[in-house]
Amino acid sequence: MRTAELRTGVDSGATRTAADQAPGPGSILFSHVSVEFKAAGVVAVDDVSLSVGVGEFVSVVGPSGCGKTTLLNFAAGLLPAEVTRGELFVGGKVPVMGNRDIAYMLARDALCPWRTTLENAELGCEIRGMPPEARQARALDLIEKVGLKGFETVYPKALSQGMRQRVALARTFALDSPILLMDEPFGALDAQTKLQLEDVLLSLWQRERRTVLFITHDLSEAVSMSDRVIVMSARPGRIIADVPIALPRPRSVRALQRDPTYHELYAEVWTKLEKGLSQ
Amino acid sequence: MRPAIHANATAIWGGRLAILAIFFGLWEYAASTRAIDPILIGRPSGIATYLWHEIFVTRSLIEDLGWTLLATVLAFLIGSISGVLVGMAFVTKPVIEALVSPMLLALNAMPRIALAPLFLIWFGLGIGSKIAIGFSLTFFIVLTNTVAGGRGVNPDHIMLAQTLGANEHQIFRKFILPSAVPVIFNGLRLGLIFALLGVIGGEIIASEHGLGQTLQILASSFKTNGVFGVIILLALIGMGITWGMTALENWLLRWR
Repeated sequence: MRTAELRTGVDSGATRTAADQAPGPGSILFSHVSVEFKAAGVVAVDDVSLSVGVGEFVSVVGPSGCGKTTLLNFAAGLLPAEVTRGELFVGGKVPVMGNRDIAYMLARDALCPWRTTLENAELGCEIRGMPPEARQARALDLIEKVGLKGFETVYPKALSQGMRQRVALARTFALDSPILLMDEPFGALDAQTKLQLEDVLLSLWQRERRTVLFITHDLSEAVSMSDRVIVMSARPGRIIADVPIALPRPRSVRALQRDPTYHELYAEVWTKLEKGLSQ
Repeated sequence: MRPAIHANATAIWGGRLAILAIFFGLWEYAASTRAIDPILIGRPSGIATYLWHEIFVTRSLIEDLGWTLLATVLAFLIGSISGVLVGMAFVTKPVIEALVSPMLLALNAMPRIALAPLFLIWFGLGIGSKIAIGFSLTFFIVLTNTVAGGRGVNPDHIMLAQTLGANEHQIFRKFILPSAVPVIFNGLRLGLIFALLGVIGGEIIASEHGLGQTLQILASSFKTNGVFGVIILLALIGMGITWGMTALENWLLRWR
């Protein structure tokens, strides 16, 4: 069960002590996980071991098709048992679909067009049975935090893509799950909107320090937001590097664009990713 | 709203009325000069007299209209409710669809009006046989649209629902049903028109009441003005149905 991860002294400090040995409600532990889709003859993930501590923000980068999303889907209990090998503990439990410890954010916003901003933000809590007043209060709070105050009664058709993804962020954070799984949530946005939403995400995360496993193919996004960046190889996906990002918190993604340390870290991750691609 | 558009709309309405006036004027002229035999085409003035007399003086058309509309509404309600229910059963329980869909497909392929004589034997000359014919048309249209709508649910919604731990009932009520509503509505709109078609068809074949029966009696005694009068009345009803359904749809689906 031990994994050979580099533990780092990122400033967030005390929250992540010995998460591996005593899996808390917010930890994720992959141990020698492989995923093989036999019908398609594809090994998506090959012997991945990864530990994400409570309150840690970990990004996984890698070329497309390297099994990044497969890792998330396994953690969310969306994969049938027969395609997976190895062990995975999410909050100390084996993966199960609908695990309340998990809030999953998809690449596409998946808003319901027949629901207003407020109703969409409430959707997750509604399905998980939170009482109406409580979920509305949470949703309203998050709508304000993601910068959509005044748009509560608007239907998605009237929102831009960036605004729609903000609603999806509000829906995800309205859940009280200690673990957030995010699958390229900003992949479809233009560069400016993306920077804005990255800062929104960081400020939301900064408030509560939930565990985040963030999938992206955008290196700068991974480096600027994460405590650690995991680099995966092309298919079959293996972990080829685990790079601690020792940038101080709280961060501003936009301010980081001019920070030399950030660019050094970016170059380091980039080199490792390229090495992985050429192997 | 803007003056330019408003003026434009007025002009267009004026133009439409002018076209109608010219059309009816030519018709009246052709009939009065006997350029075309009025037995074939009637006369606009005669049609107007007929409608006035039967609607406001004897009120016989009102009563027949009532029978036709009652049968149409009942056929539509029974047909569309069962169509939606069976369609949703198909969507949520594919085994049911696998079992019965070939039979339903065969029924649907049959020209339904051919069942009319059978329905007359079963349900008599009254309203029952008309409802049955209207139902047989409405049901399948609504069923097909419901199945298509239920299948059209966004896979992202299903994935989101699963990660949230939604049960089958929640997935149906919060995702499948609302995303199917626009397509179901297309079916309902058509279904209502077809219910009217079925009822009128049944009344023409054999009936005690209704606009179809009136039409049949008028035609068999060559009262062409009356025939045109009833046809115009039916056209107005059809337009009213379409207009009402569109208004309802725009309100229900205001999120689109």
